[in-house]
Amino acid sequence: MLARLLWQRSKKQVSSGEFVFWLIFWVLVGIAVVTLKWIDEFVRDLGFSGSGIEFLLYVAVVLLFYLVFKVRLRLERIEKQITKLVRSIALKDSEGKR
Amino acid sequence: MRIFIVIPAYNEAGKIGGVVTAVRKQGHKDVVVVDDGSGDDTAGVATEAGAVVISHLVNRGQGAALKTGTEYAIRRGADIIVHFDADGQFLAEEIRDMVKPVEKGEARVTLGSRFLGKKSDLPFLKRFIIMPLARLINRLLSGIKLTDPQNGFRVMTAEVARKIDWRSDRMAHCSEILFLLYHKGFRPKEIPVTVIYPDFGQRFGGGIRILKDLFLARLID
Repeated sequence: MLARLLWQRSKKQVSSGEFVFWLIFWVLVGIAVVTLKWIDEFVRDLGFSGSGIEFLLYVAVVLLFYLVFKVRLRLERIEKQITKLVRSIALKDSEGKR
Repeated sequence: MRIFIVIPAYNEAGKIGGVVTAVRKQGHKDVVVVDDGSGDDTAGVATEAGAVVISHLVNRGQGAALKTGTEYAIRRGADIIVHFDADGQFLAEEIRDMVKPVEKGEARVTLGSRFLGKKSDLPFLKRFIIMPLARLINRLLSGIKLTDPQNGFRVMTAEVARKIDWRSDRMAHCSEILFLLYHKGFRPKEIPVTVIYPDFGQRFGGGIRILKDLFLARLID
């Protein structure tokens, strides 16, 4: 995955902001996989009956909901910006006609 | 007092000509039709009928179109701004009834109401289920008591229009405008109006969408 990401970056398919985001993401995934045993212990110490993997799954789901929420907000903001533009064009055009 | 009639329109080439003509026949010469990215010749027909037409390149929604038209009216020196529907459901003769209290200074905003005495032929579903529900939701969300909160027939002074900055593009603008009016302290006066129902109205799905829009609007702001 990291190799693919670096390839995409070199091919200018990803912006630097996105690149950093996904880089950190995959590194965290890698760490999670490697330290799975420790996560298991951590979760058990907290008193949960689930395994480390389950914990990671829940975290992933919460993260996903959060990201979707942010995307939706972003979309709404973009819609409003489009309206601003369309309005400006419309009003400018009408002034030209007078 | 300079009165501007703002009519947002989307694909109403069949009806807009008649509406604009009727409005102008009542003596209101400043008619602004906002063509909200229509696919048909709404713009052309409206211009023919004597209206000033402002066109949105793409469809943005009735709330957005109304705002554009209102902006335009303010810029052109309007004293009083009237919101009027493009589909022929309102009567041009009643514009005078709506404007008179504002002209006389009795109110700065008047809102049309279907339920204040004048008989409007509402379809059954709308009259007994959708409208009471809409009224209840409006009450709960905003604490505003009106007999017809979803009515698009409005008159306001330019001063009020300048202070009411609604952002909803789509159908939630009705509720947002009301909310802003009350929030800024402008108490509207309700005037009985007639609404003609040929065979359609706003469907129930619209109500759910309105709720969602309002909720999101609160979040973003």
